[in-house]
Amino acid sequence: MRASQVSPANTEFVVMSFEGPDQYSKAGGLGVRVAELSAALAERGFDTHVMFVGDPNLPAEETVGDGRLHLHRWCQWVSRYYPEGVYQGENEKLYDFNESAPWYVMDKIVRPAAERGRIVAILGEEWHTAEAVSRISDLLYRNGLRKQAVQFWNANNTMSFHRINWGRLTFTNTVTTVSRYMKHIMWGFGCDPLVIPNGIPRRALDPVDESAVASVRATLKGDPLLFKIGRFDPDKRWNMAVETVARLKGMGMRPVLPIRGGIEPHGAEVIGNARALGLTVKEVRADGRSVADCLQALASAGQADVLDLRFFLPDDFVRIMYRAADAVLANSGHEPFGLVGLEVMGAGGIAFTGSTGEDYAIPFENSMVLDTADPGEIAGYVAHLQNHPSEKEEIRLGAARTAATFVWDRVLNNLVSKLEYIARKQGVLAAQEVSPTLSGGRDG
Amino acid sequence: MANDLIVYTVIHQPRRIKLPAQPIPKGAGPEDIERCLFDERMNERYFRKVAKWCYYPATRAFTELVEEGFKLSIGFSVSFLKQAEMWDQELLALFQRLVRHENVELVGVEPYHSFIFLVDLERFIQRMEWASDYLYGLFGKRPVVTDTTEMCMSESIYHALDRAGFKGAVLDGRPWVMGWREATHLYNAGKPLKLLARDYELSDDVGYRFSNRSWSGFPLSADTYAHWLREARGDFVFLAWDYETFGEHHSKDTGIFDFLRWLPAEVRRNGMDFLTPSEAIAKYGDHSYDLPLSAFPSTWAGSGGMEFFLGNSAQQAVFQLMLQCYNTALLTGKPELDDLALWLLQSDNLHLIQWFGRGGSEAEVSAYFTPDEWWELGPGGIISEQQQVYRNFLGALEPYL
Repeated sequence: MRASQVSPANTEFVVMSFEGPDQYSKAGGLGVRVAELSAALAERGFDTHVMFVGDPNLPAEETVGDGRLHLHRWCQWVSRYYPEGVYQGENEKLYDFNESAPWYVMDKIVRPAAERGRIVAILGEEWHTAEAVSRISDLLYRNGLRKQAVQFWNANNTMSFHRINWGRLTFTNTVTTVSRYMKHIMWGFGCDPLVIPNGIPRRALDPVDESAVASVRATLKGDPLLFKIGRFDPDKRWNMAVETVARLKGMGMRPVLPIRGGIEPHGAEVIGNARALGLTVKEVRADGRSVADCLQALASAGQADVLDLRFFLPDDFVRIMYRAADAVLANSGHEPFGLVGLEVMGAGGIAFTGSTGEDYAIPFENSMVLDTADPGEIAGYVAHLQNHPSEKEEIRLGAARTAATFVWDRVLNNLVSKLEYIARKQGVLAAQEVSPTLSGGRDG
Repeated sequence: MANDLIVYTVIHQPRRIKLPAQPIPKGAGPEDIERCLFDERMNERYFRKVAKWCYYPATRAFTELVEEGFKLSIGFSVSFLKQAEMWDQELLALFQRLVRHENVELVGVEPYHSFIFLVDLERFIQRMEWASDYLYGLFGKRPVVTDTTEMCMSESIYHALDRAGFKGAVLDGRPWVMGWREATHLYNAGKPLKLLARDYELSDDVGYRFSNRSWSGFPLSADTYAHWLREARGDFVFLAWDYETFGEHHSKDTGIFDFLRWLPAEVRRNGMDFLTPSEAIAKYGDHSYDLPLSAFPSTWAGSGGMEFFLGNSAQQAVFQLMLQCYNTALLTGKPELDDLALWLLQSDNLHLIQWFGRGGSEAEVSAYFTPDEWWELGPGGIISEQQQVYRNFLGALEPYL
């Protein structure tokens, strides 16, 4: 008899992605997402396989956690020639991934699962896996196994959409994405994705060290204290952030903006723009990688309008900064989901988000949402919150409440529900039985 | 009337390159380069398919026939043998049993089914000697008569084979090769090496036309065919076919195995005897005739000239790339890379794209041998990706120069 619901007893998961849990495999948010999502699935009791471009010096196959999380480090023979990380030798890895991973999924995961009467949910992440998941579907179909699998392919951003064969992908897979904004973009590619938001780990809700928060505020003396972190990408609207500092100064305030960007060349333009606006910019370096080292670096930074943090920021320190700042500028002009904004909220910070993929953000309830690219909009809201401290506290509380609804465990409910929906549609799961309600019976 | 019949079959499976071309990591070692170049999964798939429909039933049939007095000569490309060693030891054992039989003569072929003889004759001689050792190691017999690749023969190939110590060689008896001569006699081209000329009409009646319903000779029965063989004017008829004729080119339901089963008896009934090539040389060697060979190689493929392999621009481009790969690999001084370049010289990489820009029956034959999976790329995609394989190999050689 077919089951009517997805459960660890009848379902296992395969998460396919270029990025993954190894340090070698993390280049951005995708690696974190895959690590967290797969860990959450395993914690819920699902046998979970992660196929990713893993560290060539670690075992090809490894089972971790309580024995339910199976890491499959793919493309290791290619990665040995490319020690710099997951995206070095990208095309070589992509070919190998497409060529070999689908067979493995069929022979080593789906077929044995089918023999045990289990369903396999295959989740592909990002454009790199679009071809592989299409091939998996074809292989399963040819081998009479397609009905044992439910296949989702997820877009976390629009990168390399032009390299995707959308007709083939949408025919073979259920396409998902992380926000309604992305959904609307993807309509233009002839698909109507299901929306399953990104998640954050439960530790992202842990209380922040308030003494460290106080120390940062006392050290930097920002009035207001702002903070911005991310790649130096024009989409992140860095120039809008530094222009906001200039506006606030013009309003008679004494803002301080610590920033942490990447190695991208746009950073030089941003710093140059800040200086052109008459702002003082200082590079800050740390002697170590601990939170204490970071706090020490801030203490010895001296005064400047913009502090360019040129050192590694551990997660705990980033959360201290989120909490300490009067405004964390997650003000992107194009954000598929905006995980930073959610992380800020988890730390009880005040996120200033853009208004694209940040479905979770409700202005003046749990965050400040920017409708324009006008630095005056940020400056105005910052000034308003400085003048209304109680509103600020309400927003911090609302932010924490919202963030709690996006922990992976909660997001999994959404994911599983949508899997069940598709699985029923495919006939993999039986229709759900509905109990009659007390008030809605035929005699009522 | 011809008194003797010589039957030769050649077994070959290409080592197909991987399309679309797999990018080779910078600095890759020879083993990793190799895995990027060749589609072993596809090769195994085709090997197993042909083994099922052809190699097993045909080998069992030939084994029975030789035990009943039929004589067979058989050539193996090392390209095929390596696949058999990797993927089907049982089949290999079946072939070893067949070849061990006294009525079976092992014939040499260019081991990788390559066109090395168009590139480097000295190396060709070495390769044929290497193949002889390889065959001896596997079958316990050494070939004394040899084929080349696609039955190519020219003046210079002839001299190379003579230098390599063979007693006889085969060529296709096309009119442009034979002139006024008949294919039914033993020939030489000025050296001790004797030449057996394939009767291309009678061979192709079975090899190509057997299952062709629009052919005037269809359906061909063993008694009719034996009669045609006996009617040939000369000393003997030399027939040569792809081994895959039996069960693969012509499927079982065409009646090809029944034809084969009855052919020896019908040949005998018509008064002909069977000979192996060596026996034919022994019998007719004292009065072999002079056959001047062309500088341009002949072949049993297509219309008999190298235009089948080098006649279109895509083939010419690949051939140029083959030369670059071979010579550049030699420069590296690394035997493993040199070996890969020899594989890339495999003639099939030219055969498979004969259809480019062409139509007609020859193009149909070429397209038949092009792997089905490649057609997803489209004709233009096949051509460009095939060239990309060679370019990738050249790029991979750079760190070794």
